[in-house]
Amino acid sequence: MDRRKALRSIGTGIGAIAVTPAVVSLFQSCQSVATYTPVFISENDFKIVSNLMEMIIPKTDIPGAIELKLPEFVDAYIDAVWDEKRKTDFKEAWTAFISSSNKAAGKENAGDLSTADWDAQLAKYLKPGNDVPADEILASQFVNQLRSLTVNAFKTNEFIGEEVLAYAPIPGEQKGCVDLMEATGGKAWSL
Amino acid sequence: MGASAGSDDFKDKYYTGRRNNGIYIPRFRNIGGETNQKDFTRGYGYQGGGGRSDWTKQIAEMAYGAAFKEATLKPGDWQIGLSGFGEILPYQDNKMTLDYNKLDKWGLPTVTFDATLKENELNMRKDMQQQAVEMLENAGFRDVKGHDGDYAIGLGIHEMGTARMGRDRKTSVLNENNQLHDVPNVYVTDGSAMTSAGNVNPSLTYMALTARAANHAVEELKKMNI
Repeated sequence: MDRRKALRSIGTGIGAIAVTPAVVSLFQSCQSVATYTPVFISENDFKIVSNLMEMIIPKTDIPGAIELKLPEFVDAYIDAVWDEKRKTDFKEAWTAFISSSNKAAGKENAGDLSTADWDAQLAKYLKPGNDVPADEILASQFVNQLRSLTVNAFKTNEFIGEEVLAYAPIPGEQKGCVDLMEATGGKAWSL
Repeated sequence: MGASAGSDDFKDKYYTGRRNNGIYIPRFRNIGGETNQKDFTRGYGYQGGGGRSDWTKQIAEMAYGAAFKEATLKPGDWQIGLSGFGEILPYQDNKMTLDYNKLDKWGLPTVTFDATLKENELNMRKDMQQQAVEMLENAGFRDVKGHDGDYAIGLGIHEMGTARMGRDRKTSVLNENNQLHDVPNVYVTDGSAMTSAGNVNPSLTYMALTARAANHAVEELKKMNI
């Protein structure tokens, strides 16, 4: 991946971001690994996180989270960019989410949960209008955070940014009011 | 300080290219007649912009999955924001001092800033928010929200002062040519010379002062004065 493009699009998507050597090395390394070993998330958890992300951004006529390697990106991103406090909070929320999921499915081990079990959990925490009980707020925060990480990874993905969203790195003349369908075919601008 | 809002209109409209400026609403307070305020003197302007970059509202309903994914690829509803930029009056007790008891690692005195917003600024900020909300509501936007972040001196980027210009070396640091009263071969040409900027962006004034000071330095050099 072209490092400059990656940094530019992530800057546009998230707002101000400090470009540290860690971020640069993240972008240089993330596309070259054939079999990925997670660095922040444990290998067992990584499978579950990947499946949850695939349920959030499933494969349609456009590739889904797993095919786009979004779980790999999120794992490497958290490892390289987040500070210790955010990492600890994330792990704590993850533990709360797993415990709430096991309880809801009546199972002991998160590895035994079915797709339907996970789907029920996502629906409970992400669909609007559901009241989250006080003891499940942390679990709910985890799911919302995972969704926003997934969407940011999706929208800043090179393939999505250049081939799916409307992509014009050197857009030329600015026009403030044009027809949406004529300008981009209804898609959002990538940059 | 300001307000933001959304719109349900113009969903079939978009933009191309990079807009290199935003909305600018020039000062409309205390410029005479009905615009004069009893709670504060001087004034403020707004800077802002509009766009379709926020997708969080439209996808909230869809939660996750294929329809959600499709929605993330579309432009969000139109949004607009206005932020107030007001003048901080040139208070003598807003100051910077050098602390010779606390030296930095090069043995130089450290800088202590002692400056706060005072009643005039706080009253102006209330009006800034109120007027922004009113403008957006009257313009027909929905979900108009005033926002009020805590303000610390420095957040406005263009704070100035600390080496004010003046004729008297007892009460000012620089003379009328941006030259130190006490060290004639040192010129300070950023915002330090000014104690207030009005409410407008000051960078062009810095440039003009710099060009003028540089010209003065060249003339003085030619005369062998510095």
